[in-house]
Amino acid sequence: MNFLKKKFTEYYSKADIEFPPRFDRREYAFIFFGEGGMHRHISFLSRDALISYLKKNSPAHSYYSSAYYRHPDAATMREKEWMGADLIFDLDADHIPDAIKLPYEKMLVMVKKEMEKLLSFLMDDFGFDKKDMRIYFSGGRGYHCHVSHPDVISLGSQERREIVDYVTARGLNIKGIVKEKSIPKEYFADKTIEIDPRKGGWSGRMARGIIDFLKEIKNMEKEKAIKKLMELEGIGEKTASSLYASLSDERIKRIEDGKIDQSREFKRIAIPLIKKLSVSLHSSADEPVTGDIKRLIRLPGSLHGKTGLRVTKVEINELQEFNPLRDAVVFGEEKVRVMIKKPFSIEMMENRFRVNEGVNEVPEYLAVFLMARGLATI
Amino acid sequence: MYYKFIALMFFKWFYFNFVELSVMAKYPFISSAREWVKKEGVRVEEILFDEIYERARGRGAERVMQALERGLIKDVPLLEEADFIMEIFSYPVARMIVVASGSDYVIRRYSLAESKRAYENLKNENIEFIERMAAEFGIRMNGNRMYFVDYLRYAPTWDIKWKLVNRELRKGEIILEKHELARLLQEAIRKKIYSELLYMYPPPEIKKAFGDIIEKIKAKVSFKEEKERIDEVDARFFPPCIKNLISATKSGVNVPHVGRFTLVTFLNALGMSIDEILKIFSSSPDFNPEKTRYQIEHITGKISGTDYTPPKCDTIRTWGLCFPDEICKRIRHPLSYYRLKRRRK
Repeated sequence: MNFLKKKFTEYYSKADIEFPPRFDRREYAFIFFGEGGMHRHISFLSRDALISYLKKNSPAHSYYSSAYYRHPDAATMREKEWMGADLIFDLDADHIPDAIKLPYEKMLVMVKKEMEKLLSFLMDDFGFDKKDMRIYFSGGRGYHCHVSHPDVISLGSQERREIVDYVTARGLNIKGIVKEKSIPKEYFADKTIEIDPRKGGWSGRMARGIIDFLKEIKNMEKEKAIKKLMELEGIGEKTASSLYASLSDERIKRIEDGKIDQSREFKRIAIPLIKKLSVSLHSSADEPVTGDIKRLIRLPGSLHGKTGLRVTKVEINELQEFNPLRDAVVFGEEKVRVMIKKPFSIEMMENRFRVNEGVNEVPEYLAVFLMARGLATI
Repeated sequence: MYYKFIALMFFKWFYFNFVELSVMAKYPFISSAREWVKKEGVRVEEILFDEIYERARGRGAERVMQALERGLIKDVPLLEEADFIMEIFSYPVARMIVVASGSDYVIRRYSLAESKRAYENLKNENIEFIERMAAEFGIRMNGNRMYFVDYLRYAPTWDIKWKLVNRELRKGEIILEKHELARLLQEAIRKKIYSELLYMYPPPEIKKAFGDIIEKIKAKVSFKEEKERIDEVDARFFPPCIKNLISATKSGVNVPHVGRFTLVTFLNALGMSIDEILKIFSSSPDFNPEKTRYQIEHITGKISGTDYTPPKCDTIRTWGLCFPDEICKRIRHPLSYYRLKRRRK
C-alpha cells in the first residue's frame, strides 16, 4: 500500500490534470488508500487548490460531479442547488455480457467497439459535433463519453433517460419499424416485411443492419454462415440452415430493395439483431446510469487506484489506435522486485509479460498495475 | 389612378389588421395578442364593468365553465372585427376568473382546455404557421422537423409511440406529422399558460364582477375533490413487479417511464384515486407534483380521454420489470394476479 501511495504521490507532483468545464461549480470526491469511505462535498475555487490537494493526499480514486451547482460544497442536494449537468455515458465491461469473461486487454477492445457504436448514434442520429463530445479511458474497465452541448446540460433525468433508451433500443417498437404487409395471393395472403435503409432513426438502422447482415451471411461458406446465425439468440440449427438456403441472389436483390418476403424466419432474427446494433450500457433495468442528473465521474488525468492507469482523454479520431495498456501508462521502466501471487500474462507497453508465482523483477509500470489489482505484493 | 392606390393601401391595411386579429382571436395567448391588448390601453375596471365589454365578459366566463365542465373550449363564429376584439378580450377575463378561484385544479383544467383548443386549430394550419408558433415558445423547427431537445421537453414519452427511440431521428432532428407538431405545441402552450396563472394575482375588483360565478366554480370543485372511493385496495395482493415498483419509488430509486406507467395504470385499474397514487410518487427523487399529477391524469384518462390499461406480463417482461413468483406462472396479466390472490384469501 505504501509503495502505491508513494508512486501516486510521485505522479501527482508533476501530473497534468485536465480541469472539467465549469471547474469551480463541481463537487469533488476522493477515496484514500487504506480507507473505505468516500470524502465528498469538496469544492475548489482555484486550480492550484485542486492540484495541491492531489499532491498532498495522493488519493486512490478521484471524482468530480457531472452536475454543476451553485454551492458545490453544501452537504445536501437541496442546498447545493443543481444548475445543470453534462450527459455522461459510462461504457464498462461489466455491462457487456460477453466481455466479462475475457482477459483484461480483450475486454477493453470490446468496450471500444461499443463506444464506436455510441459515437455513431450521437453524431448521425443526435447530430452532435465532435467538439461537443469528449472521450476518456476510465482507467479501469471502460470508456466514458461526456457530452457538454449547451442544450443538453439543462435536460432533466427523464429526458436523459429517453436518450439512453434510444441508444440502448429500450422500448423500441419493432412492429413500427419492420412493417409487415399482407399481399393477397390466390389462396392466402403472402406476408412481406418492408424496410427502408434510407430512413433515419432506428428504422433506417435496422434496415441497413438487416441488409448488411444477410449479405455477410450470403457471402460466407455454409458452415460458417450457419454458425454465425446460430450465435444470434433464439436461432437454432433448423432455422439457420433454412434461412441460409433461402438466400438466393435474386432474394438478396429484393431485400436490398427493402422487400423481405416469407418473413417468418426474418422476424426471428430482428430481435437479436437489435441487440447487436444497440449499445450495451447497463446490465439491469433499474441501474441509475446516464439518466442520472447527479453522479460522480473520474477526474481526467487522475489515477485509478485499482489499476494505476491514468484516466486519459482519447481524441475521437484516435479511438481506433488507442491502446490503454500503452497510452494510459504513466510509470517508468525501472525494475522493481515483486511477489506474484498467481501466474499472470499481459501485454503492456507493447511487451508481452508472463510472470509466475514468486519473486519476479518487473518494470515499475507493471509492478504498480499488479499491486493495484491485488495480484502482487512487494 | 391615385384613388385606386389609396383604395388598395386601405384594403391592404384593413386586410392585414383583419388577419392579425383573427389569429389573435384563435390564439389569444401569443405575445402579439398580449401586446395588442396592452396597446389598446384599456383599464381593468373598464373590462370588468364597462358595457362595451359585456360580450367579452360573457365569453370569458363561458371559457372557464366549458373548460371545467367539458375539458375543452368551443369555438364561436367570428365574422367581423368587433367579434375578434371581444374574443381577444375574453381571454384575460377568463384568466382573472380562474386565478380568483384560487384552486390549482381549476388552473390545470383551464390551461389544458385552452391548449386543446389551440391544438384543434393548429393542426389545420400550414407548416409555416406552425413554425412561427413554435418560435414563440423557443421550439426550434425546420420545416416539418423538430430539434430533438425541444421534442423531449414536450413529448408525452410515457406513451410508446412518442418515445424517442421510435422516432425518425436524423442529425438531431425528428420528422413529424402536422398533427404531431400541433400536439407538441399544445403541451408547450399548456405549460406556458399554467405557469403564468400560477404566479398571477386576481385584481380585487374581480369578486364584484364575477362573485357568483367564482362561488359556483368553488362549489363544483370541492364536490369533485370529495368524490368517494369505491373499493379498498389491498396491497398484499399485488404481483411482485408492482410491489417492486412501489418499493423502488418509495425508496427514491429513479423508476423508468415504463415502470411509472405500469404502476399508475395498475393502481388506477384497481380504482385508486389520483391523490392516493400521487402520494406513492411523492418520495421519488425528482418528484414534481404538477408534472406527476399531469402524467397520472393523462394515463388515467382524466384529461386525455384515453384510459390506458395496464400492460400485459409479456410487455412488462420486455421492459425488464418482471420478477416472477409461483403465481405468475399461471397468469398473463398483472391484474389477474391481484384477482386470483384476492379470491384465494
